[in-house]
Amino acid sequence: MWVNMGPQHPMTHGLWNLRVRIEGEIIKDVEPELGFLHRGIEKISEDRHYNEIITLMDRTCYVAGLAWEHLFILAAEQALHITPPERSEYIRVLASELQRIASHMMWYAAFVQDLGLMSPFLYGMRDRDLVLDLFQSFTGGRLTYEYMRVGGVRNDLPLGFTGQCRRVLDWLIDRFVEYDHLCLASTIFHERCDGLGVLPAPEAVAYGVTGPMLRSAGSHRDLRKDRPYSVYDRLQFDVATATSADVTGRYLVRMEEMRQSVRISRQCLDWLDDHPGPVLAAQLPRWLGAPYAPVGNESYLLKRNYPTGLGFSMIEEPHGEAGAYVVNDGGEHPYRVKFRSPVLINVWAAKRYLPGYRVADIPPIMGSVDVCVGECDR
Amino acid sequence: MVTLFSVSNTLSAALLGALAHILPTPLNGWATSSGVVTGLAALIFGAILLAASMLNTILLIWWERKLLGRFMDRRGAMHVGYAGLLQNFADGLKLFRKDTVRPGQADPLGFWLSPTAYMVTSLLIFGVLPISTGWNGGSLPLTLLLALVIFSFAPLFIFLGAWASNNKYSLIGGMRSAAQMIAYEVPILLAVVAVVIVAGSFDLTTIVQEQRDYWFAVPLFLALIVFLTGMLAEMERIPFDLPEAEAELVEGWNTEYGGMLFAFFMLADYLRALVGSILVVLLFLGGWTLPSYVPSVLTSFPLAGIVWFMVKTYIVFGIFVWIRASLPRIRTDQLLKLGWMRMVPLALLSIVLATLVVKAGCPPVLHCVPPMGG
Amino acid sequence: MQTNELAASLTSRFDSRILGVDGFPGLLGRVRFEPAIALDLFRTFRDDLGFSHLTMVGGIDWVDHREVFYALWSDADRVYVMLSANLPAEAPSIASAVPIWPSANAHERETWDLVGIRFEGHPDLRRIFMPEGYAYHPLLRSFKIFEPEDLEVKVRSE
Repeated sequence: MWVNMGPQHPMTHGLWNLRVRIEGEIIKDVEPELGFLHRGIEKISEDRHYNEIITLMDRTCYVAGLAWEHLFILAAEQALHITPPERSEYIRVLASELQRIASHMMWYAAFVQDLGLMSPFLYGMRDRDLVLDLFQSFTGGRLTYEYMRVGGVRNDLPLGFTGQCRRVLDWLIDRFVEYDHLCLASTIFHERCDGLGVLPAPEAVAYGVTGPMLRSAGSHRDLRKDRPYSVYDRLQFDVATATSADVTGRYLVRMEEMRQSVRISRQCLDWLDDHPGPVLAAQLPRWLGAPYAPVGNESYLLKRNYPTGLGFSMIEEPHGEAGAYVVNDGGEHPYRVKFRSPVLINVWAAKRYLPGYRVADIPPIMGSVDVCVGECDR
Repeated sequence: MVTLFSVSNTLSAALLGALAHILPTPLNGWATSSGVVTGLAALIFGAILLAASMLNTILLIWWERKLLGRFMDRRGAMHVGYAGLLQNFADGLKLFRKDTVRPGQADPLGFWLSPTAYMVTSLLIFGVLPISTGWNGGSLPLTLLLALVIFSFAPLFIFLGAWASNNKYSLIGGMRSAAQMIAYEVPILLAVVAVVIVAGSFDLTTIVQEQRDYWFAVPLFLALIVFLTGMLAEMERIPFDLPEAEAELVEGWNTEYGGMLFAFFMLADYLRALVGSILVVLLFLGGWTLPSYVPSVLTSFPLAGIVWFMVKTYIVFGIFVWIRASLPRIRTDQLLKLGWMRMVPLALLSIVLATLVVKAGCPPVLHCVPPMGG
Repeated sequence: MQTNELAASLTSRFDSRILGVDGFPGLLGRVRFEPAIALDLFRTFRDDLGFSHLTMVGGIDWVDHREVFYALWSDADRVYVMLSANLPAEAPSIASAVPIWPSANAHERETWDLVGIRFEGHPDLRRIFMPEGYAYHPLLRSFKIFEPEDLEVKVRSE
């Protein structure tokens, strides 16, 4: 019997459809159906200035907007041959790591809700709000930020931000302990999560699965370490891994990642306290659309010798490895922008890690994948 | 002594007496005849029970919402009425005003019958539950058995509704409900057997009176644990709400029901939660009695038995809410395993304990733990 | 491994069918190849050069021709490499990478859906985002946004 888990279903809440063939309660085959949220972001990007695409990046993944801004900015800067100031790189890393905490908290809330745990859902959302408050104080937005710019970031951190941010991080570190108590101390949690959705590392690599799902299988692959972008090579942190390759393993990895993100954020805050400076590159072409670009030494009307180039960036996004490929053929708009969505591939591998389990196991397993359909469909 | 039946009898007599004044001669004699008075008294009795149980059910929902809110670090319903007391009335009113939609392919008879029967069987139990001395439908020798039998009708109607609504999620939910029943009915009955052995009666009033020396919760704590767990499953609350596991089955067996029919299911769910809590209070926590060392001023005011009974019931339900707020949902096969491999042996052990308690007489230590007033 | 080493090793194996290995800052290089050797090249990259991970597959419509590109990652060298092949604008097709990397499945379906490049030997080449039976490939330059007939979603017939 084929059962549609979605689109009007609490697990997929209107965004995608998981068709499941079941015999009794055992899953025999699955077929993800996607595209319900396809907005053609790659197509729209072809008609936009570079800084205008940043707006789309927030909408690409609506729980990890800053991470996707970071991704596109890196590729665009490579394609346009622009070097951002050092301080802006630290701010970007700080923003990305705070975004990782917020995204993982959102995941935690949704995941325990799928398990039937009601209170931690609200705890997760409550504490995520503190991170969103931080975002509001330096970007002005709580969900869509439009903060990063080609060549830097839009504005510097507000006065007193670092102190406030440290206080929030201290609070969060304590909350992570509480989260673990609510989940790992519960026998039912282990009954529901241990040994489910197992995807061993070799198969995870073959199926292209990345991020916490891959690291839960014992792999140490983390692009922040393996191919450091921005200033990750100057920061100390550990790669969170687990060995069980199941739902519990993914939970442990994400929890540890949040702790490591706090650690990275603190290092960034320390550096930012000591190193004031510009946050936007001095010489930016006006057609980028940057609001504070200096006028005078750019070549808007006279020369029109726009640079050409290719930009390729991969970052460790909260859901996995996200990629951007920007083809700049010498114009104000990119010729083609291609994004790699980690969620699309992670969801696709459901064909491998779902069959054999029960219908009741679908919510924990798919919850542990952390599906963000916005970036999956783009 | 004031009993529920005497109250309804008085009401009935007064009503019919007033009626007799305005009726012509041959009719007024008939109206005051004892048969008519008793008949009307029975109707009034039923109406009072219905009103009381519905009112308590709605209060129970409020109580759960407030408690859940506090567990979740929020305040629960706050806006309609004082502290949101009237919120559920507003919600109910909204649901009753809604259209009830039957899917085209659904079987009409089963679709309409199942919520009605579910509701009716849940209400029926209140007829046999004693609330305080005399406040019941009369002393019958087998009230406990009757209550449990009516209580376990529900999965049948759930399955009927699930099958009739012609929906895959409903069907899976109904199947799970049936499978779940197999898991919890046997341990529940075994735990009740332990109580019956100690009390020596199937009559709920007698069982409560037998607890005058000690609450059965103390010697039969194993049976209490099994009974509480089984009741959780019987009420289909987290962690045993598999038939309506919303994460995978939308709403489970009541997916296709909306408006008033959904309100029926929802109300009947809480009615069953109320019955479950009442049964726990009756069987294990001494019903409407309080320990004898409690100052008599607390037990001597009018209707004190009912007040304390309701307090206990709400506290027991609070424990169920607490469990709901802190545990995830388990799986069908795990529930079956729990039922057969953990709860049944525990219940059997508690039967052994019960026979020991009867054989050895009550150990003296139990007399002082909660010594009971009459 | 350096870009020139990669170029040397590839040229020795495929000689002129490798059209060039360009430098690409941050990557091992950008290998331009003839579509005919696609499967052999993929196998070489996976088995001999250790690029176990297919990261990205995409297409570009250059109007007069189409380009298909692949990004690969090597766990041993911790480096990305980009492969790119030019296909004709009329009925572009290339061998599917699914036998080499199962993860290519979704990537190639997406590329077929949006850019209209056929992958021969793909087990299940259907549209992934657009509805089945949709008449266009939206990322082609000939596709204009905001034409009323594009907004009509044709109902799938089953």
